Amino acid sequence: MAKQTLKCTINDDAVEVLVQPYTTLLDALREDLGLTGPKEGCGTGDCGACTVHLDGKPIASCLMLAMQVRGRAVRTIEGLGRADALHPLQDAFVRHGVPQCGFCSPGVLMAAAALLAENPHPTEPEIRYAIAGNLCRCTGYTKMLAAITEAAGATSAREGA
Amino acid sequence: MATVMKTTRDVKGVGLSIPRPDGPEKVTGQVQYVADIKARGLLHAKLLRSPHAHARILRIDTSKARALPGVRAVLTAADIPELKRKAPTRAHAVLAIDRVMFVGHPVAAVAADEPAIAEEALDLIEVEYEVLPAAVDPLQSMQPGAPPVAEAGTEADTSEAMAHGAVTVAKTEAKPTKAVNISQQSRLHRGDIAKGFAESDVIIEKTYRVPMVHQGYLEPHAVLAQWDTTGFLTLWASTQGSFNTRSEVADVLEISENRIKVIPVECGGGFGGKIRALCEPITAILARATGRPVRYVMTRREELEAGMPAPQVIIRLKTGVKRDGTLMALEAETILESGAFSGAVLAVSAVFLASMYKWPSFEVRGFEVLTHKPSIAAYRAPVAPQTIFAIDSHMEQIARALGLDPVEFRARHLMREGDPMANGQPWQSNGAAEVLRRIAEHPLWKNRAEWAAGSGKDGHGLRGTGLALGGWLGGLQPTGATVRLNPDGSVSVLTGQVDIAGTNIALAQIAASAYGVDIEHVRITTGDTDSAPVTGLSAGSKTIYTVGVAVMEAAKDARRQTFEVAAAELEASIHDLEIEDGKVFVRGLPDRVVTLAQIGKKGNLYMSKVQPVLGVARPAFSQQAPAFAAQLARIEVDPDTGELTLHAFVVVQDAGKAINPLGVEGQMQGGAVQSLGMALTEALNFDDNGKLTNPSLLDYRKLTAADLPNIETIIVEVPSPAGPFGARGVGEPPIIPAPAAIANAIEDATGARLTHLPLTPERIALELVAQGARAGISLRSGVTSGIV
Repeated sequence: MAKQTLKCTINDDAVEVLVQPYTTLLDALREDLGLTGPKEGCGTGDCGACTVHLDGKPIASCLMLAMQVRGRAVRTIEGLGRADALHPLQDAFVRHGVPQCGFCSPGVLMAAAALLAENPHPTEPEIRYAIAGNLCRCTGYTKMLAAITEAAGATSAREGA
Repeated sequence: MATVMKTTRDVKGVGLSIPRPDGPEKVTGQVQYVADIKARGLLHAKLLRSPHAHARILRIDTSKARALPGVRAVLTAADIPELKRKAPTRAHAVLAIDRVMFVGHPVAAVAADEPAIAEEALDLIEVEYEVLPAAVDPLQSMQPGAPPVAEAGTEADTSEAMAHGAVTVAKTEAKPTKAVNISQQSRLHRGDIAKGFAESDVIIEKTYRVPMVHQGYLEPHAVLAQWDTTGFLTLWASTQGSFNTRSEVADVLEISENRIKVIPVECGGGFGGKIRALCEPITAILARATGRPVRYVMTRREELEAGMPAPQVIIRLKTGVKRDGTLMALEAETILESGAFSGAVLAVSAVFLASMYKWPSFEVRGFEVLTHKPSIAAYRAPVAPQTIFAIDSHMEQIARALGLDPVEFRARHLMREGDPMANGQPWQSNGAAEVLRRIAEHPLWKNRAEWAAGSGKDGHGLRGTGLALGGWLGGLQPTGATVRLNPDGSVSVLTGQVDIAGTNIALAQIAASAYGVDIEHVRITTGDTDSAPVTGLSAGSKTIYTVGVAVMEAAKDARRQTFEVAAAELEASIHDLEIEDGKVFVRGLPDRVVTLAQIGKKGNLYMSKVQPVLGVARPAFSQQAPAFAAQLARIEVDPDTGELTLHAFVVVQDAGKAINPLGVEGQMQGGAVQSLGMALTEALNFDDNGKLTNPSLLDYRKLTAADLPNIETIIVEVPSPAGPFGARGVGEPPIIPAPAAIANAIEDATGARLTHLPLTPERIALELVAQGARAGISLRSGVTSGIV
């Protein structure tokens, strides 16, 4: 099969890349664009490790073909914050000691960031529901909840300032 | 060994909750796992796996696959001269020779330019099978006449048990006769159980079953292999023990260990499942065959169908007690289903059944049984959660039958330091009694009657509270570490220990406190197998307990060397020196100072006569440090649907000394949720033909954030005599008690005693129906009477 040209926005940059029509968004990000932050934990949309934002909404990038994001805006964990300018969620995850093996962290963070963008003051059940599609095997989720709750306060404070 | 170094002020080190330094890399997606590594000319591997649990391979035709453009190698067993018919371990069974032994057994291997091409090539390989009868149920498999699993003459594999260093049982205890699929046996006994049962007032007998469960790490097995032109192999591996991976691969490939370098890449979870080699040998063989780097990443389906799960455990347990609660006799039979290869930690179950409480007479028999299923491996405290599920459930039932307080009953009979375990070895000092005491003081336990009083009222379900106590003996393994002073006065620690649990920051804290510098000045590195001292597995809850000692001793050695240089410099006795704020000074004479940077620099100056500071330690160990956890669950059960809601969960655990409390809490919470998964939802379900019926994470149900409350943690510190600063292992104890705690809570709520995991709504509802039927009353009223 012939490769096709995908034009879209990724982490605020206009991108043009050749991909196979059967390539998933996750594979295109990881293999063709070098963005290996999103992880493949299952490839079937069950674990959430590949979560990215498509036009601001969290999606499982392993379940979407790359060509489906033509003309749309994708954000990966690489576009959430940098080591020297962490997003409040990332900062809270570090301070609360959330990441253990770290494999689920990029997906959880993208799910949580999408939640806070839509609902800056979520309740505990709302946070739990928002990350219920993200499996974590190390943490038991407790420190995640604390970090997201704290970051929600920090995010809204920053916006209010 | 537990002495704290004397300094004029406390350095920032042991005991502080310091976030892991790799946190920023992990939350920004910059950490590289095996699947993230770029390599020039990289090929992608895929394996063709058997669709049958047991079959003879009559013919394999790979010609069409080989002809596919982009395919660089297609291998079958015939292409690999090192393969042996009597594969002693799963790692040796690289590809099936002429017989497949489980669904998912690799039959052929492909390396291609792209994963999609490799996938397509698999479809082009033709295999003709003669399907053979399969032994799928362990109880049938251990009977005479069952279809044999192993090749005749294959030895049992006990290396997993050795690696965990958990328990020992004298080999002479094994019975000489065995059925064809019984690969290991053990027998522990003491006293006269016939007399004990004859003199008992209350005899309870139950059979407990725990299915195979998967370790569930989010990152599937992955490895990248590359040979250089001299025949030297480099493996980038997701492993819990790079030196063990090197040994296993060297053994399979029949090459010297110094011709292999294993680079332990960030491990996306292991929990026991990444100790033994699995896909490393075939990946190395494909790389050899193609002369190119080859990466193999297992799919989730492959992980679930053909990974190395925890064994199915079936325990028949019978106990006899006097009416006043005096323990009389215990008889048990443990069956561990090991799948297609031997390797279960059989002794753990036998020892824990009869060693938690003081049974004056007992007989415990253990059997490892082979079946035509994927072979098993360790899963965090292997076989301990399953065993504690049986013995703690049983203790609870005895207490209830006798009308005794369940905590007092356990505490009264708990074995203490010095008491003989079932294998005759004395219990080392431990915090079992302390964690039990602490959990019984928790308000959720004290107020359990108030909670139960709301049962069935105002639309509430049936409410109950349960607790359980379990522990782990603690693994041991020799290890090494070095601590260097750098020319700028900073300190570098090197071990070969793979950090799967946040242990590196804790080891750095130990180095900081033992040397006498603040943690900011210490950097720790996990070296590869060429650069690091030989180091053991990250398993058995032994990293801090053993490598922590190595780091502490190496840091003390470096401190002593630092003082030797400083003593010459300051013309003082080394006994009068102190380290503070990066300086060595003479006690009482704060002006006589030499900085650590000056000492470090002298050890690295051209023409300098000062020896560089290089602290080295290479300890071996003989004394284990048992670590216990008690867990408490407050639950509610819908009597109509059996749906269980977990309202609160508490973990009390003895860490000996929490080197990094933040990390210890993370272990306690994560372990508890794995334990709850085993209790509530997880099972690998096989059909009668040995095929997995739930090979996805949608159907293999792990607990999510929405299923759970916050996990409350209470750290207890009963110092271990030999651990660094008194520390004990913390990784495994929290995965042990939850199945029993939940089952005990269900009985408290409903009166129903469930003995088969997982405790699904279906199982609970059916048991409530059966209970109602036994009482001769309708479900509703039967349930209501059950909570009186």
